[in-house]
Amino acid sequence: MIRDITIGQYYPAESAIHKLDPRVKIVSTLLYLISLFLFRSIPGYLVATIFLFGCIGISKVPLKFILKGLKPIFILLLITVLFNLFLTSGGNVLLHVWIFKITEEGLRTAVYMAIRLIYLIMGASLMTFTTTPTALTDAIERLLHPLNRLKVPVHEIAMMMSIALRFIPILLEETDKIMKAQIARGADLESGNIIQRAKAMIPILVPLFVSAFRRANDLAMAMEARCYRGGEGRTKMKPLVYHGRDIRAYIIVLLYLVLAIGAGRFLPFHIWIF
Amino acid sequence: MSMVKTEKLVFEYEKRDDEGNVIGKQRAIDEVDLEIEKGQFIAILGHNGSGKSTFAKHINAILVPSGGTMWVGGKDTRDDNELWNIRQSAGMVFQNPDNQIIATVVEEDVGFGPENLGVPTEEIWRRVEDSLKKVGMLEYRHSSPNKLSGGQKQRVAIAGVVAMRPECIVLDEPTAMLDPNGRKEVIRTVRDLQKREKVTVILITHYMEEVIDADYIYVMDKGKVVMKGKPREIFSQVDTLRHYRLDVPQVTAVADSLRKKGIPVKPDLLSRKELCESISKLYGKKEDLLEETATEEHTVFGQGKDPILSLKNLNYVYNPGTAYEKHAMKEVSLDLYEGEFIGIIGHTGSGKSTLIQHLNGLIRATSGELSFRGRNIYEEGYPMKELRQQVGLVFQYPEHQLFEVDVLSDVCFGPKNQGLSQEECEKRAKEALQMVGFPESSYKASPFDLSGGQKRRVAIAGVLAMRPKVLVLDEPTAGLDPKGRDDILDQIAMLQKTTGITVILVSHSMEDVAKYVDRIIVMNKGEKIFDDTPKHVFRHYKRLEEVGLAAPEVTYIMHELREAGVPVSTDITLVGEAAEEIERVLKK
Repeated sequence: MIRDITIGQYYPAESAIHKLDPRVKIVSTLLYLISLFLFRSIPGYLVATIFLFGCIGISKVPLKFILKGLKPIFILLLITVLFNLFLTSGGNVLLHVWIFKITEEGLRTAVYMAIRLIYLIMGASLMTFTTTPTALTDAIERLLHPLNRLKVPVHEIAMMMSIALRFIPILLEETDKIMKAQIARGADLESGNIIQRAKAMIPILVPLFVSAFRRANDLAMAMEARCYRGGEGRTKMKPLVYHGRDIRAYIIVLLYLVLAIGAGRFLPFHIWIF
Repeated sequence: MSMVKTEKLVFEYEKRDDEGNVIGKQRAIDEVDLEIEKGQFIAILGHNGSGKSTFAKHINAILVPSGGTMWVGGKDTRDDNELWNIRQSAGMVFQNPDNQIIATVVEEDVGFGPENLGVPTEEIWRRVEDSLKKVGMLEYRHSSPNKLSGGQKQRVAIAGVVAMRPECIVLDEPTAMLDPNGRKEVIRTVRDLQKREKVTVILITHYMEEVIDADYIYVMDKGKVVMKGKPREIFSQVDTLRHYRLDVPQVTAVADSLRKKGIPVKPDLLSRKELCESISKLYGKKEDLLEETATEEHTVFGQGKDPILSLKNLNYVYNPGTAYEKHAMKEVSLDLYEGEFIGIIGHTGSGKSTLIQHLNGLIRATSGELSFRGRNIYEEGYPMKELRQQVGLVFQYPEHQLFEVDVLSDVCFGPKNQGLSQEECEKRAKEALQMVGFPESSYKASPFDLSGGQKRRVAIAGVLAMRPKVLVLDEPTAGLDPKGRDDILDQIAMLQKTTGITVILVSHSMEDVAKYVDRIIVMNKGEKIFDDTPKHVFRHYKRLEEVGLAAPEVTYIMHELREAGVPVSTDITLVGEAAEEIERVLKK
């Protein structure tokens, strides 16, 4: 059930991408995501596809895993595509049934939107698959460090994020257990109207919250017992230092950007309406 | 200089009303005086709520005394300037393995403490490697804690403390949530650390077997230290220990009942070897005895009656077709009859939890047939809701599922889901609460304000209120203290006798299973390997050991006696039986 969600999971493997500095991965992913919205043409997406699948290949994360991450957003994807398909006007009308009509522009927008969303999720999940949540939060802490001067508690936010990531699987398992236990007591979670269903969630949410608070309490005590006292005076077991490979990775990403945008915007190559 | 020293230590919890005003105080620790020497293995025993955990939190300065003084390594814990030094020198391991691991990778978690202390990076790496080696978890350094067993997680937690180079480790019931193998793992690790690294170990527990090797034991009750001494001195006072809601190891229990029968075995016995030597000395001669061979007799259950639950060639595969595919149940066939008291044993991961979740249809078998009163529950249109009411399932730590504002409404949840009237619901709820021995005066209390044992009673009543014909309990005694364990099991046994329902008890304790059930099903790697009476099953103790289980301690005593030439029967699974059998042989 809920355990099918793979977004945010780490896939342990020894690969060049796993070894990269997490800051490189965050910045590159962001650049990649932005690049997807800078062009709408076959050559551009060709470059993006090669880059994405090349990275997946190097990362040693099975493609199946990354595709599985698309499952939870399938509905969202479908809605976006349908909206774009039917509500965008412009160009010749390709199909006209009753009040629905599909235009050339609509089809084009829908297809590009689908590709963008799919690549976006795949790119983001490649980052989380190859970076431990701790490394990720470390990187965010470092990247956001300048905000410290504006009195933003960057270290605390990063710590909260990493703890949340650690407890997501535990709480999911707990939810599963509580659901089963209440079903065993005859709870009906699946039928009824919205209000009845919302009411049926109470026996699951209350124990879940109680348990989350208990865990938070325990964890705070355990952290204090291990001398945690905020970010000041703390050293790092894995401090972030840029290596040669990180610089090379940045260069490759920049090359990709130039190539993709160049090909996407200036190479006149069209098939039918795309 | 002593490691830990207290003088008239007092700690009071403040009770507050809804507005936060103090309305009363409760003494959790009451004038405790003790002194713990460096390098020792100290045990603190006591039932749930005796104040032992509160005491432990003082050693790490998580709590500071309300009165009196506590010194850790000569430093007063009330001195704010020494706080971090105290926490570094007295590390603490808690009960719940999940709630004390901070990082998502083992090695990073072990590094958390040194990071907080400001240790330089290279030194952190050295310490992490060294600590993981000491607890035998080095090969798991890159693993996610979620993939580890309970015992392994606790060892990671211990490594996390060791990496801070403490002089003393305080373990607050580190084994309460573990299975027997995990428990052994953790205790062995702790013992090694104490012996090799000369770290002072303070172990808080209510498992008596774990403290036999301790240098010194303190027993707490109502916030006071009520007994102290070497293990031998403590365990020879069987009745006093029971008075404090504790138990004694079975060896000591056998010796005690023998002495009560007038047989002069030595009074301060701790190991099987000592007991056997003492008895064979009394017997006076050494006979040449063959080991009793395990006969291949099988008990046929049911005898022609129709089974209430019948499983035929049940298979269950987790995540079929993926990398995580796991055959959790293989070709299990079983017939369960009305009125039986059945025990299911097997080590963690043997498939026992999967098996019981099939019984009320929570998990659907991949193949095979399961019928309740002769009707296959997998046929289309089978009323699952009704099945779940007939086969009541109480999960592990069922109190974690309580949610209502008061006890009575929580117990009403089951009957209400059956669509009964408010009146009928309350009637059934009250009846169920009576069955588990819950006091009527607390019916309107919030379930969250109750003690652990009472919460569990309410949770079990919540299932009983649906008037099931079969009651399945997954480790109903987990985490309770010895008296609490006995109370719950006695209550269930009585309920089974008076109402005649079928009870299925999943347990890790061979002693409990031997004492209560009439039939044992042994699971291993998803297969049923035994299905017989306790006596017959425990004859195969060598096979049980191979699958990570064991026979009750008394059975081993009888085997060792026989090896020592005392002609006792080895078909013994209970302390009382053992004492009688030894008496019979000695008086011959």
